[in-house]
Amino acid sequence: MAFPHRPDAPELPDFSMLKRLARDQLIYLLEQLPGKKDLFIEADLMSPLDRIANVSILKQHEVDKLYKVENKPALSSSEQLCFLVRPRIKNMRYIASLVNADKLAGRTRKYKVIFSPQKEGDQRWINTVAQALHLLSTLYGPFPNCYGIGRCAKMAYELWRNLEEEEDGETKGRRPEIGHIFLLDRDVDFVTALCSQVVYEGLVDDTFRIKCGSVDFGPEVTSCDKSLKVLLNAEDKVFNEIRNEHFSNVFGFLSQKARNLQAQYDRRRGMDIKQMKNFVSQELKGLKQEHRLLSLHIGACESIMKKKTKQDFQELIKTEHALLEGFNIRESTSYIEEHIDRQVSPIESLRLMCLLSITENGLIPKDYRSLKTQYLQSYGPEHLLTFSNLRRAGLLTEQAPGDTLTAVESKVSKLVTDKAAGKITDAFSSLAKRSNFRAISKKLNLIPRVDGEYDLKVPRDMAYVFSGAYVPLSCRIIEQVLERRSWQGLDEVVRLLNCSDFAFTDMTKEDKASSESLRLILVVFLGGCTFSEISALRFLGREKGYRFIFLTTAVTNSARLMEAMSEVKA
Amino acid sequence: MPLASLLVSTSDGPWGSGLDRVSSSEDSLRNLSPLQWKSGPVVSLGWSAEEELLCVQEDGAVLVYGLHGDFRRHFSMGNEVLQNRVLDARIFHTEFGSGVAILTGAHRFTLSANVGDLKLRRMPEVPGLQSAPSCWTALCQDRVAHILLAVGPDLYLLDHAACSAVTPPGLAPGVSSFLQMAVSFTYRHLALFTDTGYIWMGTASLKEKLCEFNCNIRAPPKQMVWCSRPRSKERAVVVAWERRLMVVGDAPESIQFVLDEDSYLVPELDGVRIFSHSTHEFLHEVPAASEEIFKIASMAPGALLLEAQKEYEKESQKADEYLREIQELGQLTQAVQQCIEAAGHEHQPDMQKSLLRAASFGKCFLDRFPPDSFVHMCQDLRVLNAVRDYHIGIPLTYSQYKQLTIQVLLDRLVLRRLYPLAIQICEYLRLPEVQGVSRILAHWACYKVQQKDVSDEDVARAINQKLGDTPGVSYSDIAARAYGCGRTELAIKLLEYEPRSGEQVPLLLKMKRSKLALSKAIESGDTDLVFTVLLHLKNELNRGDFFMTLRNQPMALSLYRQFCKHQELETLKDLYNQDDNHQELGSFHIRASYAAEERIEGRVAALQTAADAFYKAKNEFAAKATEDQMRLLRLQRRLEDELGGQFLDLSLHDTVTTLILGGHNKRAEQLARDFRIPDKRLWWLKLTALADLEDWEELEKFSKSKKSPIGYLPFVEICMKQHNKYEAKKYASRVGPEQKVKALLLVGDVAQAADVAIEHRNEAELSLVLSHCTGATDGATADKIQRARAQAQKK
Repeated sequence: MAFPHRPDAPELPDFSMLKRLARDQLIYLLEQLPGKKDLFIEADLMSPLDRIANVSILKQHEVDKLYKVENKPALSSSEQLCFLVRPRIKNMRYIASLVNADKLAGRTRKYKVIFSPQKEGDQRWINTVAQALHLLSTLYGPFPNCYGIGRCAKMAYELWRNLEEEEDGETKGRRPEIGHIFLLDRDVDFVTALCSQVVYEGLVDDTFRIKCGSVDFGPEVTSCDKSLKVLLNAEDKVFNEIRNEHFSNVFGFLSQKARNLQAQYDRRRGMDIKQMKNFVSQELKGLKQEHRLLSLHIGACESIMKKKTKQDFQELIKTEHALLEGFNIRESTSYIEEHIDRQVSPIESLRLMCLLSITENGLIPKDYRSLKTQYLQSYGPEHLLTFSNLRRAGLLTEQAPGDTLTAVESKVSKLVTDKAAGKITDAFSSLAKRSNFRAISKKLNLIPRVDGEYDLKVPRDMAYVFSGAYVPLSCRIIEQVLERRSWQGLDEVVRLLNCSDFAFTDMTKEDKASSESLRLILVVFLGGCTFSEISALRFLGREKGYRFIFLTTAVTNSARLMEAMSEVKA
Repeated sequence: MPLASLLVSTSDGPWGSGLDRVSSSEDSLRNLSPLQWKSGPVVSLGWSAEEELLCVQEDGAVLVYGLHGDFRRHFSMGNEVLQNRVLDARIFHTEFGSGVAILTGAHRFTLSANVGDLKLRRMPEVPGLQSAPSCWTALCQDRVAHILLAVGPDLYLLDHAACSAVTPPGLAPGVSSFLQMAVSFTYRHLALFTDTGYIWMGTASLKEKLCEFNCNIRAPPKQMVWCSRPRSKERAVVVAWERRLMVVGDAPESIQFVLDEDSYLVPELDGVRIFSHSTHEFLHEVPAASEEIFKIASMAPGALLLEAQKEYEKESQKADEYLREIQELGQLTQAVQQCIEAAGHEHQPDMQKSLLRAASFGKCFLDRFPPDSFVHMCQDLRVLNAVRDYHIGIPLTYSQYKQLTIQVLLDRLVLRRLYPLAIQICEYLRLPEVQGVSRILAHWACYKVQQKDVSDEDVARAINQKLGDTPGVSYSDIAARAYGCGRTELAIKLLEYEPRSGEQVPLLLKMKRSKLALSKAIESGDTDLVFTVLLHLKNELNRGDFFMTLRNQPMALSLYRQFCKHQELETLKDLYNQDDNHQELGSFHIRASYAAEERIEGRVAALQTAADAFYKAKNEFAAKATEDQMRLLRLQRRLEDELGGQFLDLSLHDTVTTLILGGHNKRAEQLARDFRIPDKRLWWLKLTALADLEDWEELEKFSKSKKSPIGYLPFVEICMKQHNKYEAKKYASRVGPEQKVKALLLVGDVAQAADVAIEHRNEAELSLVLSHCTGATDGATADKIQRARAQAQKK
């Protein structure tokens, strides 16, 4: 049970350097405003700040009081104000109003604004990603093997290359510490991101929302009247053992763990004074800590069970699996319709509609109209704009007239060479960018054939992260490319992904890279990755002796994806 | 800053001889003078730390010239100075830069501690001051500039707050006036020359006397300066009269020299430079190492080693004797060090060589003598000898060179346009390219672009040929210089060589090549840069041109749209209009219908505009949906008027629900008909609403109104949700066979569910029921199912 790393798994480079670097940069910026100052932080940046610098570090550098940037006048009496915000118009207005108010009051203070990179919205983070990769290669040596797919991936990659060329010589001659880098665009695979998550960490994210590695467990989890902010990482020994597990195993594991813990407590009954002293001074603290974590995760499990084990959830998962496999489409469509009619949840309804659209290459015109109409009636007319957003992103579309030619097309492809067929389909896909999910799924074998029950206790492939029903497309692509060390033989898949111009490989001589480093792979998700994908790749790593390092613009899930697309009435 | 004074010209001559690179600076300064004459009489001249010539005019204007006599800028010392004229001025150096202190005709002082960041400070008045002070100087203590002045027998210290009388401790009696005062290079020491021929020397803080001397000459000296060496305990003051130079210190005797010509003294870090029309001398305390070695009959280890080496060259066995003598005393290391150090202080290459040879000779007999000091000294001396050459004319001492650092020396060479020498030095010292060669090439290029007689093409090509892709060279800086010289075309050509788009863009904008800037910014992928250009373009171009420019740049357009969404909604609309993007226009008006408009008429009108746009976009669905929304909005308004309560902005579904919850069933039915709400939705809706009301009677009536399009299982579910098992059971019986088991389980009738499942012979249903069998109560049922299963398997 749980995922221990293989004994031969390669060691990770020292990533604590990154944290130190970020902290030092922050300190440097703070010190540019010498003396006492108040710090205003955008709420969004609180958690990331927590990860690099605590309050005492801020105090050391003469930060007096901390304020949240919100639409309230500032009560700070400090002579110096420092702002830590993302470059958003809203924030600038806030700061400007503050400065103007001071001006009116005839007050002179010093102000300093520190910008943290823009996070989402457009492609503005491509530059940030390129810079991050540049930083990584200066710290950990060049990457001998680079692969990537997707438009943004290619843009980020090219920008990064330019940066490297500008500052030539810095990484030259350095021994690579990380052997491979893989850049993957989120829009190559929306399907995976739209699925309900069933591995523990993903479920915790879907249910409670993990933010920057920590989560707020409410009273229903902590079983006291307070919320608790919990850091979820490998340091939490209990969490570390269950984070990648299918939820159905988690409860059993936790109760076994509880029994073991009890046994350890019980040992003290037979102890003499000396042993007792030893026990109290050495073990008790660890046990108590484990006890605390255990009860938290059991609480979280209960809370998840309460929400998810209802009939509804089973039905929902069943529908999702049917959509992924492509059978009973009519039934699934009526299920979605009922979901909308009953106003179960605007975000969930939208997610199902998108999943249906992507897996089916768009909705048939009749459904496209009727589902949208139903949705507007249930959740409000402003979602007309939501649909427009989704259409632009290719998440919810109507089957184009060209699609009816699919049958013809497939016949043609059997008759003529692949290349010619490619041209024909390219011509079609220029009419409407189609997801081609079904064809890709077949090509890459995303739906495992199961004889009998899929044993979730002993997973045999990455599909376990979706109860054995579906291998995440993104992870499968990475697996295949790593296996071939190139895109060779995947031309058809790349074409179906509409990425013919955006799949790339770049290999340099490997003589300097150690075999250890060649088993380390940095996966860069542009546009966000899900915990399920992380778990799946960790599983792959364990199977193949790789170790994956993840870099992403955000950790995402279906709800975040849908919310970003949803029109919200102010 | 020692070198700044190296270039000081005599202030009494009209434009006397700058001694560094005598000919060229003289030439350039002479060229300058007519300019100066136009501007007005000059009171004082001085070099700044950046080697700029500061000329203080009588009217308080300070004109700044470059090393080549090129006019840089000018600034004024203020109105007060203008009105009262400048009586006297001093240029002084602090750690912040070079300062100017002025004594006005009204006997007031004004100073600026840093001409690079001009802040004028008018010093407080000296009470009762009627005439000019007999002497004065600028002092720098605790990073603040002060003025010390002498009026008759009194001394005053001016800081920016107050004027305070000060008395030097241990001053001999009988002084009725101070004729000269001198502050040391480091501002640590002060010397006062009195009318009795008495010299007081002490700390500049006037807290401590160091020594005194009586020279018995009452004539006022022309100049008095400190002569000392860093870290030396000896302190001396050099006093100059017309033809006499006297060095006095903490000793009963003075040292005297005769001056053959008019001379000018410049105090420096480690000594005094004495300039005359034909000579340039340097007076300094002999360094300890040199003294040890060259003292007559010295037996110091260094002296013996030098001797040993000379004998060795003569192939005399005395070499061995001397060497033994040093070794027996265990002083060979010290001897080598002394020779190396002394070599540094020599100006004659022959003497440097013989000392270094001695050091190298001594090193052979030492096991582990670290080579660095020897190697570095050889390198330093080569550099020093090169710049001391009279063609170059920078006669730095070793101490000054070390204080200055190689970087500053290179800067000064560059300033003199001695690029080849600077590059040779960089290459010789193997300086990293970015600090060394590239920097100098970049300076060269900046000079090159000023050569107006060469064509743009040739200049650009010459620069690129020399610079190539040398790391650390910023083509944009060079281009900026070219633009500064009015050569825009050359600047654009040079920018083509700049690999970093981020560096190209700001200059292109400055040169009004905004469209080029935009494409470069887009190329860079840096969205901040794109925004910078966009906002610039927006102000520069008229609206039509701006939009046209955007039209060809999709990325810029999409960024600008985002900006408009937050900042300029009207512009956004115009953008869509221009592109005939009716779909987006429609969306825009939809948003306006609930975000911008408040009155219902306004909202409906916005929706109407949206619908029209959608029709134009051939998006019939959106158009119809929008028209429905207009109808709904009007209706909601009417409902609010007639029934009270809140209806506006509810979705259609919620509107109907609200009506049912309010008991307006008829209205609800009407609405459902008007908007053609599908049956299924209506049933779900009514079911939920009635259950919420717990109107079981009405629910039952409703359930019997016709055959339910959603089946009866939802009825069971919803009743159970409201914990009404009694009602739930009523509907359970009406549930169709395929959902019967589920319904029975919901109402908790496990036994009957089992019967139905067995009857259906449905394995899935059997397991479902089994999973609901809990505890002893359902034991019998569980058995029954197991039996049925077993039977089924038999068959």
